[in-house]
Amino acid sequence: MNNLQTFTKGLIKENPIFVLLLGMCPTLGVTSSAINGLGMGLATCFVLIMSNMVISMVSNQIPDKVKIPSFIVIIATFVTVISFLMEAYTPALHAQLGVFIPLIVVNCIVLGRAEAFASKNKVIPSILDGAGMGLGFSIALTLLGSVRELLGSGKVFGITLFNDTYGMLIFVLAPGAFIALGYLIAIINRIKKA
Amino acid sequence: MNTKVLVAPSPHIHSGDSIQKNMYGVVFAMLPALLLSFYYFGLGSIIVTLTAVASCYFFEFSIQKYLLKVEPTINDGSALITGILLAFNMPANLPIWIIIIGALVAIGIGKMTYGGLGNNLFNPALVGRVFLLISFPVQMTSWPKALGFNTSYIDAETAATPLAIIKEGLNKGDSLTDLMAQLPSKMDMFLGSTGGSLGEVAGAALVLGLIYMLVKKIISWHIPVAIIATVAIFSGILNMANPEAYAGPAFHILSGGLLLGAIFMATDYVTSPMSNKGKLIYGIGIGLLTVVIRVFGAYPEGVSFAILIMNAFVPLINISSKPKRFGEKRK
Amino acid sequence: MAGKKESTFINMVLVLFIITLISGVALGGFYELTKEPIAAAKLAKKLNAIKEVVPEFNNNPSDEVYKVGINATDTLEFYPAKMDNKLVGTAVKTFTNKGFAGYIWVMVGFLPDGTINNYSILDHKETPGLGSKMGAWFKQTDPAKEKSSVINKNPGKTKFIVSKDGGDIDAITAATISSRAFMDAIQTGYNEYIKNKTKEDISHE
Repeated sequence: MNNLQTFTKGLIKENPIFVLLLGMCPTLGVTSSAINGLGMGLATCFVLIMSNMVISMVSNQIPDKVKIPSFIVIIATFVTVISFLMEAYTPALHAQLGVFIPLIVVNCIVLGRAEAFASKNKVIPSILDGAGMGLGFSIALTLLGSVRELLGSGKVFGITLFNDTYGMLIFVLAPGAFIALGYLIAIINRIKKA
Repeated sequence: MNTKVLVAPSPHIHSGDSIQKNMYGVVFAMLPALLLSFYYFGLGSIIVTLTAVASCYFFEFSIQKYLLKVEPTINDGSALITGILLAFNMPANLPIWIIIIGALVAIGIGKMTYGGLGNNLFNPALVGRVFLLISFPVQMTSWPKALGFNTSYIDAETAATPLAIIKEGLNKGDSLTDLMAQLPSKMDMFLGSTGGSLGEVAGAALVLGLIYMLVKKIISWHIPVAIIATVAIFSGILNMANPEAYAGPAFHILSGGLLLGAIFMATDYVTSPMSNKGKLIYGIGIGLLTVVIRVFGAYPEGVSFAILIMNAFVPLINISSKPKRFGEKRK
Repeated sequence: MAGKKESTFINMVLVLFIITLISGVALGGFYELTKEPIAAAKLAKKLNAIKEVVPEFNNNPSDEVYKVGINATDTLEFYPAKMDNKLVGTAVKTFTNKGFAGYIWVMVGFLPDGTINNYSILDHKETPGLGSKMGAWFKQTDPAKEKSSVINKNPGKTKFIVSKDGGDIDAITAATISSRAFMDAIQTGYNEYIKNKTKEDISHE
């Protein structure tokens, strides 16, 4: 597998949301609007790249028995860093995403990639893997957020496309997240088959 | 030959029953309630019913033909039932575009996504109703007053349902006796001149439908009786414990969509258990959940949620209440 | 390539110690780095909420804030807005816990005589599409909806109760509970404002 494939596989072929179905908690929890989805996606992307990079560098020095605790500490460090940065420079988004930012620590994708990829590979492929997975995650969350925002309130990224009296509230609420995600996965499977 | 060994899961002599025959039997049983809703709500009721039925047919046909590319089965009458039941769950002044969305959700999400009639886990009409209730709470909970063909739809004077009056009043801290005085009499609730959705205002007509279906053996008595009895007992206990905070059994049975749900929604073949024991468990579950949601939950009405929740348990109930095969040893 | 470290006790303690040490130092550094921007962002948010609800001012209301506890856990915050040292309005951070889903926090701006200048919802958990409409509902400018608006009304003169319960303000369609809660928040804010305003006037003279 060359570097390019390492990067692109996360986008569609092994997309963490639509194919691997990892990290469902933020996926369903924060995607009530496109901007929330994008913000969450990029924050996770940053954590993925940084933790993959650091873990691939140090994993040889870490004894097996304390591998998971060490990885979690490394991941948690980067999550806290991004949380500080967002609170300082994008306070509105930080308030919107709320508890889901600290919850990136326990996002299966981050630990999953650290364990399955970064701990066994060199630095450059690990960064590319993190970037690919992170971007795939961001794309999926933004897409889901756009669909829910459009159907729920007639807007995408805050731009009104139709009057929000026609919006279906359920899509802004939790059940709508499940419905929208289910149909998006179905559509993507259909496209991949064709 | 020992004929006893011929007992098998599926019937071997064709009794003349078919999906169509049973479906149209159900439709016939719904007629009294339907006609009464025309009488109470006038033109709006007719428009809502026609739109719901027509769009259910349309979506069933086009999804099967163009999306799933299978032979359309619109003649089996199930789209007709879904359409009428959906209309029964709507206020008579609901905008047409909302009705069409409801039909799309009922047929598209509630039925076709699972693979069509027979495979759906949830009652399609209820999926449509709950979707609309959550999506358009304002429109779905503004009921016009039942004034027959004089019902005004332009600047509709809205009437709260008895359940909503009780719920809001209790939240505000009013005493139940005062609230009961504001309500229509039990007889009115039974005969239907209260605010509400098309099908939930006329208890008497629904009971007429139930009797017809029982006589014709379209459904068995287990589910409706289990639901109504459970609601009566449970709300009776609550009422006895504190008559000022909890309404009595008669109120719970006659108000809202309980009779509609118990008679027409919960008894849907596809989404209810197969064995009689299973049906009783299912009915008791619905009854308990209904009262719990009505009394302790945020929504004034809980029948539709209760039925959907119990729908999800049906596969489990079916497994656990499987009748013993003939000759199987007791464990 | 160096072989994997053995999982001996010393190794494990050492590795974990080093990792947590580096992580702690890094976090401390970032905390120091972002401390000021975070504080600035929080202040800006508060100031914006105050600016939205009171007439133009040129003091710093956060410096003159006074707090009034109304029960064991909750306090109201009063931000006096002054133009050239003359009181032009007071932003009151008030609340109610009677919402459909618990607490609702409202910033409401009173003119010195108690008339409502404007309000903004700070935090709420009401149902989207129903109770959540209160951010815009009670400041409608459409003359036909005049009865829904609370702007330019004085809770001392107008009955701040939803019209369904015999008051003068029209509730949000299908969200009477949230509307009642909103009225409650405004009324609480007003009562405390009047009570403390007189106290403050006396102390100033």
